[in-house]
Amino acid sequence: MRRIFLICAGLCVAGFPMLAQDLRVPASVTAGDDATISTTGSGKATFYLLGPGVSRKSDVKLGEEIHLQGQELRNAGDYLALVCSDPCHSGTFYVVAAKPAKLTFLVHPSRVPVGRSDALSGVAFPFDQFHNLDLTPVTVNFQLTVGNKALFTRPVRTQNGVAWFRTASGKSAGVVQVTASVDDLTARRAVQQVASEPCNLRITGQRIPIGILVQTEPVHDCAGNVVPDGTIVTFSATEASGKSTVDAPVKQGVARAQITAKGETVISVASGVVMGNELRVGAKQ
Amino acid sequence: MIRIIKSAVCRRHAMRVLAMLVSICSIALASYGADATVQVQFNASKATPRAVESLTERGILRDYRFAWTSMAQALDLNTLDPLEGPFAGEAKRLLKEAVLAQQHSGLSQQYVNQNHRLEAVFYAPEGDVMELHDTAEYELRISDGGKIIHDEHVVMHYVVLMTPGADHWVIRQLQAVPQS
Repeated sequence: MRRIFLICAGLCVAGFPMLAQDLRVPASVTAGDDATISTTGSGKATFYLLGPGVSRKSDVKLGEEIHLQGQELRNAGDYLALVCSDPCHSGTFYVVAAKPAKLTFLVHPSRVPVGRSDALSGVAFPFDQFHNLDLTPVTVNFQLTVGNKALFTRPVRTQNGVAWFRTASGKSAGVVQVTASVDDLTARRAVQQVASEPCNLRITGQRIPIGILVQTEPVHDCAGNVVPDGTIVTFSATEASGKSTVDAPVKQGVARAQITAKGETVISVASGVVMGNELRVGAKQ
Repeated sequence: MIRIIKSAVCRRHAMRVLAMLVSICSIALASYGADATVQVQFNASKATPRAVESLTERGILRDYRFAWTSMAQALDLNTLDPLEGPFAGEAKRLLKEAVLAQQHSGLSQQYVNQNHRLEAVFYAPEGDVMELHDTAEYELRISDGGKIIHDEHVVMHYVVLMTPGADHWVIRQLQAVPQS
């Protein structure tokens, strides 16, 4: 009888850690916060923690709490905790992003012609201080300003950690400030609005000893913005002997060209898809 | 006569060894093939505000599969080389940290029989970033010094940010999230 009792007691003592060993992991942890994992049982065991950027192995005593420093729980994602003293017991928990501390803000394009519909777009992703994407919905305020004047304001709630907008470009050439803000966080970008296609091209010309000097009046778009330097203007000269074409870039708002033509000549001008007036110049005297 | 018998025995012995080697190699190759297989089903129909072009769809499928193959290799063999190319930014930093930590702790992870159901949920108006949601299923094996200490069938949800590189898409963010 005593023998049987001793055998049972021995088995119970030997089997105790195996039967009683368990671990309890937190349901969810915010990135950067400390956490504890509780264990039951007695004796020594090996503790493993695997997560994003984390692979830890350490000795622990069963029945004691395992402290996890905020430093090793900075990265959002799933963590696997294992306590092994033959057999292993496991638990999984998630670390979720902390509150937004940084906005990733993509704005396109950096240079845009005025008066274009759906020409400007921006995308914002809120991240916490540990670079985790914040998936909790927050409101991002998008704003376009020129000087102190707001051209566009739109609050957008993030969905799946992203908010975006699309809008038309303004009417005046110049720098537009584009901002995205969440509470006191702000990300700024600058977009250069440039004149659109030339509009109402007009040319004047005169004979000079070596041909005809022809030039445009200051080239504007339809909203009155001076087109940027380098915009190409094409002059075409038609005379009895044939046709010639000269491309000239706009410099300080005006494009100039010298055409070698002796007879009576008709000169036309175009830039992109826009045609200007025709000019008739008489034959050289 | 004795020499002929000896040479026949030797030939038979060599054939047996060769057959054994071939079968061992084929088993090893088959198991490697099974482990290395990454199945990805990609649904791009719900992406907004920009529609995903078919060429882009093929590129994402190819590069996402390659990224997971590379990640599995890196975490299994504890080597950083496979991470060069398919990952960038935060995703690459975290995976590098994981491999270095595993080298230190002596642990390794195997992602076996991967199945991914990938869905594009956001594609930026200018096509410079895509957000994807992945429901991944795989066998996760954790080894300590070559001994398997944990083997589990896992279903995991990931939020993924991918951006286009020069000729392929790279993963910039790979974040596991609880099932909503």
